[in-house]
Amino acid sequence: MELREFFTEDAINLDLQGSSKDEILKELIGLLGLDEKAQGILFKMLKRRENLGSTGIGKGIAIPHCRSLVVNRLRVAFGRRNEGVDFKAIDDSPVQYFFLIVAPPLEVSNQYLPVLGKIAGFVKEADVPGRLSEVQTPREFLALLEEKAA
Amino acid sequence: MHPHLEVLLEIQDLKTQRRELEQAGADREVQESVFGLGVDEAVRQIELKIDEMVDSLPPPVRSRYTRMSAKHPRTVVPVIRGTCYGCFVQVPTALASDADRNEEIRSCQSCGRFLYLID
Repeated sequence: MELREFFTEDAINLDLQGSSKDEILKELIGLLGLDEKAQGILFKMLKRRENLGSTGIGKGIAIPHCRSLVVNRLRVAFGRRNEGVDFKAIDDSPVQYFFLIVAPPLEVSNQYLPVLGKIAGFVKEADVPGRLSEVQTPREFLALLEEKAA
Repeated sequence: MHPHLEVLLEIQDLKTQRRELEQAGADREVQESVFGLGVDEAVRQIELKIDEMVDSLPPPVRSRYTRMSAKHPRTVVPVIRGTCYGCFVQVPTALASDADRNEEIRSCQSCGRFLYLID
């Protein structure tokens, strides 16, 4: 299983506009193309997860995630805001790179945790945050995933 | 979407989250090691939220929910391609293709679980 398989160009935004955690979460959810009600439910679930403890894992990376009935398969999205946003991350640093993961409660192939683990491993590679700041297009982001064989 | 169905969905999502955290397995480990989450406290907070949301349901829906959740941990399930994902029995076509999807609270005629129609 490789991360590249799960990302599509239309679920990548390299120029997020939000300046708060809520705005960023809404923009990321918007990349999944769900209906309005489903987006609202997902937002509440992600917020609840954030309220338990931030998904900002440090070094400018956050991985908001949850399971929800509003999706029928694993969905992922990536967003970047180079200026950084206060996400109450573990290291208190602003977050620039956001990986959203949403999965249904039951999955046939049970990919949610492996994908979460893979993303956590990918972003921990020393050069990845720097490379993420340099990608110019969704295609380049996908190429980075491929290069790292994440 | 019916407002009470929305609450039921959220309750079910929270129960999924609680179940995964409670299990001494991969999710608990990831939450602790990657995100530094205090899992026991998180579970406590989720339980409080679930109780609060169940209490917010009107009595007829609440009692039906309570009865069903005692029987089925997954009390609210999706209908995908006409199949109830609780008991995996086909639901009537009229229900699965209803134009007013999710505007009413509906149950599976086979297992009784609350249904959420999804594409």
